[in-house]
Amino acid sequence: MNASASDRFVIPIGPQHPALKEPGHFEFTVEGETVIDATVRLGYAHRGIEKGAEGRNWTQSLYLLERICGICSHIHSTAYVVGVEQMAEVEVPARAQAIRETIAELERIHSHMLWLGVAAHDAGFDSLFMYTWRDRETVMDLLEAISGNRVHYSANSLGGVKFDLSDETAAAILKGIDFLEERTRHYREVVSQDAFFLQRTRGVGTMTRQEALQLGVVGPTARASGVARDVRIDSPYIAYNEFPAHIQLLSAGDLEARFLVRIDEMLDCYRLIRELLARMPAGELAAKRMPRKLKPGEVISRVEAPRGELFYYIRSTGGEQPDRVKVRTPTLCNMGSVLTQTIGHNLADVPMILVGIDPCFSCNDRAVSVRRAGRAEGQPWSWADLRRYGIDFYRRQMGLETHALAKG
Amino acid sequence: MTLTQKPLERVEALLEPWLTRTERPADNRLDIWLPADDLLPVVATLVEDEWGYLAAITGLDPGVATGELHVLYHFAEGAAVVTLRVAVPRDEAEVPTIRPLIPLAAIYEQELSEVLGVAIIGAPARGRLFLPDDWPAGVYPLRKDFQLEQLDDKEQGGS
Repeated sequence: MNASASDRFVIPIGPQHPALKEPGHFEFTVEGETVIDATVRLGYAHRGIEKGAEGRNWTQSLYLLERICGICSHIHSTAYVVGVEQMAEVEVPARAQAIRETIAELERIHSHMLWLGVAAHDAGFDSLFMYTWRDRETVMDLLEAISGNRVHYSANSLGGVKFDLSDETAAAILKGIDFLEERTRHYREVVSQDAFFLQRTRGVGTMTRQEALQLGVVGPTARASGVARDVRIDSPYIAYNEFPAHIQLLSAGDLEARFLVRIDEMLDCYRLIRELLARMPAGELAAKRMPRKLKPGEVISRVEAPRGELFYYIRSTGGEQPDRVKVRTPTLCNMGSVLTQTIGHNLADVPMILVGIDPCFSCNDRAVSVRRAGRAEGQPWSWADLRRYGIDFYRRQMGLETHALAKG
Repeated sequence: MTLTQKPLERVEALLEPWLTRTERPADNRLDIWLPADDLLPVVATLVEDEWGYLAAITGLDPGVATGELHVLYHFAEGAAVVTLRVAVPRDEAEVPTIRPLIPLAAIYEQELSEVLGVAIIGAPARGRLFLPDDWPAGVYPLRKDFQLEQLDDKEQGGS
């Protein structure tokens, strides 16, 4: 039966929308309740970071790149430092590599736990959302205990790490992951047995292995469709040779499988962290010397972020600054699959299918400077303008007198 | 690094007719320089043989003096990475689209054309994916000669 054009309706979602946690713009064409076409527009969180790295020295770029993502900041800095150290031919002490891996796995737990809550919320299962986020505080506290920060741990430096793991911290981590493991096993039961929840996940957004390969998806999204790819195993970096991760693979390819793969990965993280802490190598925290200038060359650094393979290409022309840093984040690979999977599904399934890839828009969007909205001459805001605007905004909110706004 | 030797040997055998200029920048890497015309048959060969997957496309400005822009297609198989390097003239920068062979490439190619100004031949025209709608046409932020003033000089004309 051919529906006439008048039966079709285009539903715009975003950039600001309750179903999205970060800005993206989708247009879904529907016939009745069924999605028949989908398009995406990204870039709402584009901050010019790749370009920004070209104007900063090797150390400053580390801090900039770490800020690409507020969920997986450590893995971005890891991809960068591993690449730069390789170019500088600097040997990083084993203890530093093991600490990097410990933090990376703690970060994976925090990221998956956060995702589980967001996904449960999108499914309308808010009690699961609140419990997972309560439990996630445990791992956030551990990260804060190690680094002093909940989000940007800044644990990596060029040539090593900044923080040691004391015996007390190690004991706290072990205690924390014992609790988290018990909770995670409970969540595994919930998402695989709760009948209401399964209606939202089982058989929804199914992607076969062949489709997953064709679409080029990465990370847990790919592994839930039986694609055995995990950079930690395929191309071990930092300490993954000595402390290997175990691949978590399922073949169903639906949303339920994506839930289970991530939960199984958390369980593997607990095992891995226990091994790391039990056999933590002794030694220095950083290489003795890290050159300020790097000789000309280029390097490719691939790491497994919580959402999948994160790809860095770094090029040096022999100076104190990178000549080019290219970042390809996992969400970019997975975004295409959202568009194809939603077609044929009910519009109500769209948020769940989108959340199934664990999208991270701030990772997606990187490259450019901001223009002042509604300012005719189109000047970018200076730092002083931004600061004054911020102060005035809050003063107005509080009913205080404002400064005169900067003259154009 | 025996793990990466096998896939790299396989790719060398597969792409034998096109190996006129190659480099081995690292144990696990093979770089192959290609003219833009050879890109499609080479990618088709890799896809047909199911050698790895397209991990990323990097656009590179090696400097205004070179008169070139470089487009790097990175394919990964396990730890091995094969990079197809295509140099195009700066003032007529264009490469053929590979999206009929690899649909995912569409999103990478779109980024490449927006931020570096390499035209993608054969790609359907569409709006912006990454840059703002009011970004001036013909201004490419990742080119080395990009100046912030360019954002003011031009009439707004994002296409």
